[in-house]
Amino acid sequence: MSSSGSRDGSLGRSRAPPARGSPRPVLSGVARYAVQRLLLIPAQLVFVLLILYLVLDVPVSLTQNPPESLLRIDQGFYQMVFNLFTGNWGTASFVRYANGGGGPNPAEPIPWSWIFAYYIPPSIQLAVFALPIAAVLAYPVSLLAGWSRRPGVDAPARFVTLTGALLPVFVVGTLVLNALFLGYLGYFQDVPSQGLLPADFWFFNHGGYPSWILYQFATQPTGFPLVDALINHAWTVAAISFTKTLIQASVVAVAYVAIFFRHARSIARSVREEAYIVGARSRGISERTLLWRHAARAVAPSFLLVFALTIPEYLGVQFAVEVAFVDPGFGYLIFASLTGGVLSPLVPLVFLMAIVVLVWALVVDLIAIRLDPHGVAGR
Amino acid sequence: MKDAVVVRPADLPLAPPRPPLRERWARRPPGLGFLVGAGMLAVYVVAALSALVVFWSSLDQLPKKVAWVPLENPVGPSSAHPFGVMAGFGTDLFRALWQATPWDLGIVLGILAIDVFLGFFLGATAGLDEGGLVDAFVTFVSDSLGTIPTFLLAVIVFAGLLAEAPKAVSLPVFVVIFGIILWPTMARTVRERARIIAHQPYVEAARASGASFPHILLRHVMPNAVGPVLAQVPLDVAPIFFVLSAFPWYYNCQLPGGPPLPPGSPPIPYLVPSLPAFSPLPSNSFPEWGYLLGFGTCEGFSFPGGFNYWWMYLFPLLAIVGLGLALGLLCDGIERWRHFDR
Repeated sequence: MSSSGSRDGSLGRSRAPPARGSPRPVLSGVARYAVQRLLLIPAQLVFVLLILYLVLDVPVSLTQNPPESLLRIDQGFYQMVFNLFTGNWGTASFVRYANGGGGPNPAEPIPWSWIFAYYIPPSIQLAVFALPIAAVLAYPVSLLAGWSRRPGVDAPARFVTLTGALLPVFVVGTLVLNALFLGYLGYFQDVPSQGLLPADFWFFNHGGYPSWILYQFATQPTGFPLVDALINHAWTVAAISFTKTLIQASVVAVAYVAIFFRHARSIARSVREEAYIVGARSRGISERTLLWRHAARAVAPSFLLVFALTIPEYLGVQFAVEVAFVDPGFGYLIFASLTGGVLSPLVPLVFLMAIVVLVWALVVDLIAIRLDPHGVAGR
Repeated sequence: MKDAVVVRPADLPLAPPRPPLRERWARRPPGLGFLVGAGMLAVYVVAALSALVVFWSSLDQLPKKVAWVPLENPVGPSSAHPFGVMAGFGTDLFRALWQATPWDLGIVLGILAIDVFLGFFLGATAGLDEGGLVDAFVTFVSDSLGTIPTFLLAVIVFAGLLAEAPKAVSLPVFVVIFGIILWPTMARTVRERARIIAHQPYVEAARASGASFPHILLRHVMPNAVGPVLAQVPLDVAPIFFVLSAFPWYYNCQLPGGPPLPPGSPPIPYLVPSLPAFSPLPSNSFPEWGYLLGFGTCEGFSFPGGFNYWWMYLFPLLAIVGLGLALGLLCDGIERWRHFDR
């Protein structure tokens, strides 16, 4: 949902239409809305940082890890905000987060931004697979369950999705992982049960890691394992990466659909009672046509807004799946930082995540308004 | 709630008296889902109360039998141990889950009470005060906090609390903090409904007749904005148990050197149940469903072979999902009951 706006994209109190002869506004309704949202993003980021600053008590944790004090959080909130907005995110004296515990010389501090650059591309690769699968699953299921009047369709759908939302995703991930990798599917024997690029595969088949894989997990030149494997003509690795990512993406999608469904179903239900649907039904148009030609289009903007609202939940699901599969990624870095007691990367990690969520929500809101311009654009 | 509060002329008849409960029940019978949900919840409440009586002297400590600790040949479900034995803990799983019931019901109901109180009240106030100061504050705070996944925010707060005031890391503080963290989601959904209600004719009529803001809020907006609360409550159970189970699982299982083991590895003797430092649970042998699920998922897959020790994670999982489903069915049933004649 929009930050300062509403479900229909309005900007709070309705305004009177401009008087005849008055000058046209410089910005259209949509542009004004976008600018307002953009201007609000830095304020929201500063608020999130203030919460983190107050609750994390980072100076205490920094005394335990002196080399990480370059973030200058210990010098006060304003310095921390300045450093984060200017890209100075501190340094790490070690990389314990890589699979196998490898990494650069532990004595040499390196910027957190370098470490993030290794971990973020695999997360993006997974999201690129998971989001379309989730959309393909969620859209028709929510629409059908909300549309159908038969309890035989809606009740089982509600039961299954609520159960899915209640199942901790790491349990689902572990079950899938074990089902696939512990002898049930021999086809996947080259796909690692842990980690994206298994040590065994490289050492047994190639005598060691090739030059385009750093620290046993980070690929070059793009950082995206699948793309880098294709660029380096490592077809087997590309197949492994593709298969693994597809399995993970399916787990992410199923878990996320359960969260999405409960919100989206009520939207589909309300569209069923719209006057133009009732009117079309009275003219004898079939339910199938009404559902897939009219209702499917009508719910799209609202579904997009629900999607924007549930982005943080999506990220939470993806993090848990990354951890369950012991893959390098944003989620693994966060879990390892928390359980390892190293709090300093959490500030820039959450900062990055907040930027992604806020910008993504804005983009999705704008697409929704484009699809249904009755809100802001009509003003 | 369409009976707007207006100045009632003296000659108009008063509203008919409210029919007795039996008549209302007959007119609006609750659905099957409501009855099933209420029945399931009653089972949980009875289990919690009986656990308080039976285990009162050692309610916060799971008993440990040394012979059951090793992972070799763990005791599965049988007539003597209906849910099997949780290796590592060395305890009967049925007893452990039963003993944990009052704790978990207390955690969930405590968190949901704070969540609903704050989210419902602030969301309804923001919706009624659309465009005002309260609305701006609530939407700004909820949208800003909403950028961080709930479980992550809760854990970050606790990790910070551990550094600042280690003695405050406790279960009651966890309940309060988690309830406060969950309210933005609730408030956002309630606000959307309250906005629509605020423009209904009966609210406009009440406003025109001079009704005060608190009166309109409590008499007209909040009773009609219960729907989003009922939809959100079952969903808010999920992040609670995610936090309680995911970090014990990760801490026992995924840190370097922990299971799961690759196929063909020799079995490990046993895992010692342990918790991360920021965990709100007071001890390593504390009975709690999420902790049992996290550890059981790790332990159940410790041996190569995967699904052989299914009871270690299945029964804690059923306890958690059952409670969520009971709340879900109950809330859906209440919502259906409210709209029976519409």
